[in-house]
Amino acid sequence: MATTALTPAASAYRSGLYEWLTTTDHKKIGILYVVNSFIFFFLGGILALGIRTELALPGVQFVDGEVYNQLFTMHGTTMIFLFIIPMLVGFGNYVVPLQIGAPDMAFPRINALSFWMLPLAGILLFLGFITGGAASAGWTSYAPLSEDRTLASVGPGQDLWIMGLTLIGTSSILGGINFLVTIFKMRAPGMTMFRMPILVWTVLVTSILQVMATPVLTSALIMLFIDRNYGGHFFDPSNGGIAILWQNIFWFYSHPAVYIMVLPAMGMISEILPVFSRKPLFGYKAFVFATAGIGALGFSVWAHHMFTTGLVFLPFFSLMTFLIAVPTGVKMFNWVFTLWRGKLTFSTPLLFALGFLSMFLLGGINGAFSAAVPVDFALQDTYWVVAHLHYVLFGGSVFGVFAGVYYWFPKMTGRMLNESLGKLQFVMVFIGFNLTFFPMHQLGLAGMPRRIADYASNVGWNDLNLAASIGGFVIAASMIPFLWNVFISLRNGKIAGDDPWQANTLEWATSSPPPPYNFDHLPEIRSERPLFDLRHGRTGH
Amino acid sequence: MSSSPGTRPSSGSILVGIVAVAVVGAAATWVVLNGSQILQSFFPPEPKTAQGHAIKDLYDIVFAIAAIIFFLVEGLIIWSVIRYRRKPGDDELPPQTHGHNLAEVIWTVIPTIIVFFLFFVSWRTLNTVEAHSPKPDLLVKAVAAQFQWSFEYLPADAPPDAKPLFTVNLPVGADGGLTLPAGKTTHLYLSSPDVIHAFYVPQFLFKRDVIPGVVNQFDLTLDASDAGQTFRGQCAELCGIGHRVMMFEVHALAPDAFDAWYQGKLTEAAATPTPVPSGAANGPKLDLVAQNVKFDKTDLSAPANTAFTIHFDNRDPGTAHDVDILDASGAKVFDGKDFPGPAAQDYGVGALPAGTYKFECSIHPALMFGTLTVQ
Amino acid sequence: MTTPSQVLTTGDPGHAVSEHSPIAAFAHDTRGGISNPILGMLLFICSEVMFFSGLFAAYFNVRATTTPWPPVVANDPVLTEHFNLHAEPFYALGLTIILVLSSFTCQFAVWAIRRGDRTGLIRNISVTLVLGIVFLLGQAYDYSTIGFGLADGTFGTTFYTLTGFHGAHVFGGVIMLSVILYRSLAGQFSDRHHDAVEAASLYWHFVDVVWIALFSTLYIL
Repeated sequence: MATTALTPAASAYRSGLYEWLTTTDHKKIGILYVVNSFIFFFLGGILALGIRTELALPGVQFVDGEVYNQLFTMHGTTMIFLFIIPMLVGFGNYVVPLQIGAPDMAFPRINALSFWMLPLAGILLFLGFITGGAASAGWTSYAPLSEDRTLASVGPGQDLWIMGLTLIGTSSILGGINFLVTIFKMRAPGMTMFRMPILVWTVLVTSILQVMATPVLTSALIMLFIDRNYGGHFFDPSNGGIAILWQNIFWFYSHPAVYIMVLPAMGMISEILPVFSRKPLFGYKAFVFATAGIGALGFSVWAHHMFTTGLVFLPFFSLMTFLIAVPTGVKMFNWVFTLWRGKLTFSTPLLFALGFLSMFLLGGINGAFSAAVPVDFALQDTYWVVAHLHYVLFGGSVFGVFAGVYYWFPKMTGRMLNESLGKLQFVMVFIGFNLTFFPMHQLGLAGMPRRIADYASNVGWNDLNLAASIGGFVIAASMIPFLWNVFISLRNGKIAGDDPWQANTLEWATSSPPPPYNFDHLPEIRSERPLFDLRHGRTGH
Repeated sequence: MSSSPGTRPSSGSILVGIVAVAVVGAAATWVVLNGSQILQSFFPPEPKTAQGHAIKDLYDIVFAIAAIIFFLVEGLIIWSVIRYRRKPGDDELPPQTHGHNLAEVIWTVIPTIIVFFLFFVSWRTLNTVEAHSPKPDLLVKAVAAQFQWSFEYLPADAPPDAKPLFTVNLPVGADGGLTLPAGKTTHLYLSSPDVIHAFYVPQFLFKRDVIPGVVNQFDLTLDASDAGQTFRGQCAELCGIGHRVMMFEVHALAPDAFDAWYQGKLTEAAATPTPVPSGAANGPKLDLVAQNVKFDKTDLSAPANTAFTIHFDNRDPGTAHDVDILDASGAKVFDGKDFPGPAAQDYGVGALPAGTYKFECSIHPALMFGTLTVQ
Repeated sequence: MTTPSQVLTTGDPGHAVSEHSPIAAFAHDTRGGISNPILGMLLFICSEVMFFSGLFAAYFNVRATTTPWPPVVANDPVLTEHFNLHAEPFYALGLTIILVLSSFTCQFAVWAIRRGDRTGLIRNISVTLVLGIVFLLGQAYDYSTIGFGLADGTFGTTFYTLTGFHGAHVFGGVIMLSVILYRSLAGQFSDRHHDAVEAASLYWHFVDVVWIALFSTLYIL
């Protein structure tokens, strides 16, 4: 597979299976994360196709009740915890030490441990499907439903879900600690904090969120496990417990989690837009402060997922939610004005970055509707929310991931991905994505709730659901040129060389792929674009 | 050898570009041709309550601001993509602008002002929607259980746990649903004995969670023009395997019609309930249990042309079930009366000719059904 | 132009530079500031603080919405009396004193090795370890005589979850201290090279602080 392509610069390396299983090299671990995450992306995608197949036409055709609930529960859980979060960690793992001129992460063995917890957790989660039923209370697992052993999770699936997520959370926390120590302590001389690439900043803030928020989820999971298995009463109203306590603790993590899911992707496109516009990122410092602001504000908005419970202090959370739009908008303008008056080259990484900008813009805007509490009363728990979350997480983060794949594949493998296939994938996934998720705005407004296996045939939802289902299959089809591209490029792709994109940051100042400890020597670091400075002398600055 | 970003577009790229333009063009054409219907789809349905009107007005404001911002920023992106392409062979760097303090201040301050405006406007609407009338015209408790709704009509000024004057057990249909007076204010309590549900009526632009251990409450003021209309409602919070079947209807009646209906219900509740035909002496007895919204059997058999009894044990507390028998054409040949559990009743079924029938619970037909073989 | 190898030649003169991988060398990097493993432990402790915050949040939520607290169980005055931890805090106070003492001895151990006093290190770590084990045994005994279980309403659930997870963390600390003791006996620490001792003691202090918060919340407030 990828093994042979990685050896050109490191002939003294054993790169067989044993090497991959025991490696503590951040580059290999990064690739392991990326490959593992893609596997779960496709598994989660298959679950999504199951959902869309059932919903294509009114009437229950294939799956009902318990099985359908398992499908969307596992789709959400897989995409969030086994795909997007680790995928971004994987890119961070590969790129961050290179970008700061470090030889590896601070704790390489813990890095390996963090990775290997993930396939194990994935197995635990999916084991539910063959042991009597996977978790089926939604990825949000609201109590008391998630404690209901008769009419919800019938098999051990919910307990496996709890265990799997606890393992993933541990991996996440350890990973966050690793990144923080690496970024704070292992930067090359000359790389002050305000000369770090933006991707490093976003990974920094993401890691703070991971370290501070994830343990709160762990506590919730443990309390749920105790309620389910040891006779506990945390969330059991009939014995003095509080049903909504679960939501409060869960969302205290899960809201910062959405920033964990998007900030590194924002960092990635913040690397790509300047390179393909041939100018620096507009407003670097403001961008850093905006990222920090989002991270901080992100801890204060969790109850906006609970507006319809009638049990949270609405004005505070509404205000905080509106406020978080300001730093997000600042970033949006920074990106747009990076393009402005630049000289744009429309390679595939830029196409996906542009897709990110447009789709995330839409997702941010449709989210603002829900910040207006009374409007949320109409939109919460409907397909409008499904549209919103997919516009920011798919249109945003996944497009960012693909931008990153096309951009850094040459560095990781030494070969370029094919541009025509890349553009084909972009067009297909862009069309498929919008075809799937745009109609969900209309569906939500018209009153279609989430998490239902079927809908009445006479309320006007048929055409939109069919369109969305067709779009889902177009997205699936778009993965074919992508996989084919990876396959042929690994064998026969154009040799990339050190710096195929004429980029700005340190990872392009070493070979593709880099040698085991990354750099033979480092250029002088006097700005956030050390390689640009080297190429143009200080006059280009 | 490092290649600079950007070379002549390949023929593959051109082909892809043409396909993309074609698709976008087709989409644009379709959009133009279906203009007003498409525009309507961006808005929620016409609201039917006073609270709903307030929410719709807020939505309109948010939508207007959202549309302006979207077209402005998307416009900048599209303009940049068109205007600032790098011409092939142009290797000169564009101006290396790092930032612009004034612009950055402006695009921080103005959005802040906009969001504060939106916050205040939505706070005001929230106060309107959440207001409780000091003297509502009607007091009803909606009970959401797995997997159906029932509605308890309470005396004036009663607390939520008061004994209801009467209860409507069927969530939909002419005999069921939540019947409310148009043009008047109903105060609703929400209660659940099991998991979290949500009371959602799309045409009211409103939902509220039903949380066990807590009684949520709100006012609904139906428009007077609603009289005679029925609105569909549905549970909007995942509540288990039967979540998708938890429908209900809201029937709006003009005040006189409502009073007549209300009096009728009071009379019905006061009357001694007619005994269900015990049929104990009639022929063979079949046992059927309803538990966890499921029958314990999916196959029953009975002798042809002989009256028989179904001993029906409903073990779901607070949840009404019944047993209906339908023939091959779907016509109902036996209509058992529903009752809430835990309770058991004997249904006396008249003689049926030989054949294959379907039996089901009329309240949960998607979850509770089976085959009755008569031979 | 500085190169990584120039940066990395600093290090403990007791170790040949060629024995270090570039990454390990960063741990000894004298560019200043806190060492990597200790920073890592501090961040880990932050994450653990957040974990206990979740549990405490649940406890305070339940307590704030339940009157009276401790709960009065209808038909079971014996259980109700057992819930009244305020009446008999002395045993738990004893456990508190033991744990606080162990924090002192742990700190003495750190000060000892900072001076190069290996004997002092070994003695104080041993005492800390013994005190930690005594705490655990004492906690187990308390569980067996306290008169209510985890399934006894929200009081039982929150009590056992909070103290149980604290106990698990003490157990983790005991393992850590055992490893430190073993390594101390093997002579692996010096005045210049004892990051693991510092890290373990930070963790042990954290565990002690959590107990003080627990004791105050459950028995005093």
